[in-house]
Amino acid sequence: MIKRALPILLATLLGLPVQALAFDLEGTLKDAIKEKVKPSSQTDTEPEKKADTQTGSEPAFNLKSPSQEEEIQLGRQITGNLLGAAPLVKDAALQKYVNEVGCWVASQSERPDLPWHFGVIESADINAFAAPGGYVIITKGLYRKLESEAQLAGILGHEIAHVVRKHHLRLLQKSQLLNLGAKLLGNKLGKGDDTVQKVIGNGAEILARGLDKDAEYEADRMGVVLAARSGYEPFGLPEVLQSISETGNTSRVALLYKTHPHPDDRLLRLGDAIGERLDKVQGKTLEERFYKLKQ
Amino acid sequence: MHILRILTLTALLLPGLSLAETGTALKNDQIRAEPYSDAKVTGSIVRNDKVEILTRKGAWLNIKTPKTKGWVRLLSVKRGSASSGTSASDVLGLASGRSGTGKVVATTGVRGLNEEDLKSAKFDEPQVKTLEGYTQTAAQGQKFASKAGLKAAKVEYLPTPAQPSASNPSSGSTLPGGAK
Repeated sequence: MIKRALPILLATLLGLPVQALAFDLEGTLKDAIKEKVKPSSQTDTEPEKKADTQTGSEPAFNLKSPSQEEEIQLGRQITGNLLGAAPLVKDAALQKYVNEVGCWVASQSERPDLPWHFGVIESADINAFAAPGGYVIITKGLYRKLESEAQLAGILGHEIAHVVRKHHLRLLQKSQLLNLGAKLLGNKLGKGDDTVQKVIGNGAEILARGLDKDAEYEADRMGVVLAARSGYEPFGLPEVLQSISETGNTSRVALLYKTHPHPDDRLLRLGDAIGERLDKVQGKTLEERFYKLKQ
Repeated sequence: MHILRILTLTALLLPGLSLAETGTALKNDQIRAEPYSDAKVTGSIVRNDKVEILTRKGAWLNIKTPKTKGWVRLLSVKRGSASSGTSASDVLGLASGRSGTGKVVATTGVRGLNEEDLKSAKFDEPQVKTLEGYTQTAAQGQKFASKAGLKAAKVEYLPTPAQPSASNPSSGSTLPGGAK
């Protein structure tokens, strides 16, 4: 009874759909237990795992207070899964451009020394994702909505804020999955990708769960400021939120709307937070330099 | 089809040209004679009022209501729905639907990322390596910024607002007239 009630309570606290989460947790835990009993026989890991030297030599780690390296390892796994669902847009100039803007904006944050990675993926969906350790992905559908470098900076700033504040890491830590998973594996987790994968659940589902609303509002407030600190006009992010709001509730924003407050609520909160505070900020929009997609 | 494409591209190349848009007040606010916070108040808007958006200047929008004309805070009004012509980019968005393998699977339907896609996603090492290959150093980022004259500025983070001015904080639902 208690075991059943706890995830529901947690889910309620996190504002998640109870039914879905409870189900996922049970399923995932069953898998985890199965794999614990029968180690290394039938895991879903790909053969190229062995080629992964970055995680291969890592010592066992404790997820209750992961080091920066471990945080990056989690983020890398989540991002690799996301890229398995939707690959990078094959446009090196685009990817380089997004990394240049992102790297510059991230350098104005509290974690300038993380190895930041930015990418645009092949998806008509309108969305952006952040994973622990400095991984930021935006969809082509969202990129198409942008009209200036300042808007891109605002979007990346929002995602950078999630990483800086460790929002997704905290979601993993808070979740019953991690607690039970950690216990199951005796707290000290073994090395290798399957351990990391167990901690993050199935695939990249952590990115479909959604953070609590305050984390999103906080990332909005920080995103605006990070763009302004980088010399951009601060209203790029709210402009994009306006544009998303105008898109209407199509399937292309279904996941975004499930995991974020409505753009109108976000605009309202941002307006309240900004007030007169940014009146003196002079920034650039850089429409001319904004990289246009080839098709 | 050809004409549609040209129209679409034109719309994308000339963003923000749609003047005299309709807007909706997100909250109650004052209308001022000039785009400054100490300018004379000439009127007010009430949440959900429909207004006409004339121009924008920095953090301010020049609007017209049935009663008056003037300036309101940019974030007090959201751009209206029907007349703003976002469909052009949507058409392009739909046409680029791709499967997880990178193959084009459909040009007529919407192909996005749903929960199931994310849940069943499998780790793709070559893709992560490609992503990491694009990484820029801090020095490169700095150089990129300087090229466009971007300078780092001191801006404090914004405090958490005590109380949202409208909308129920726990609902997260749309405002009347919202897009949801």
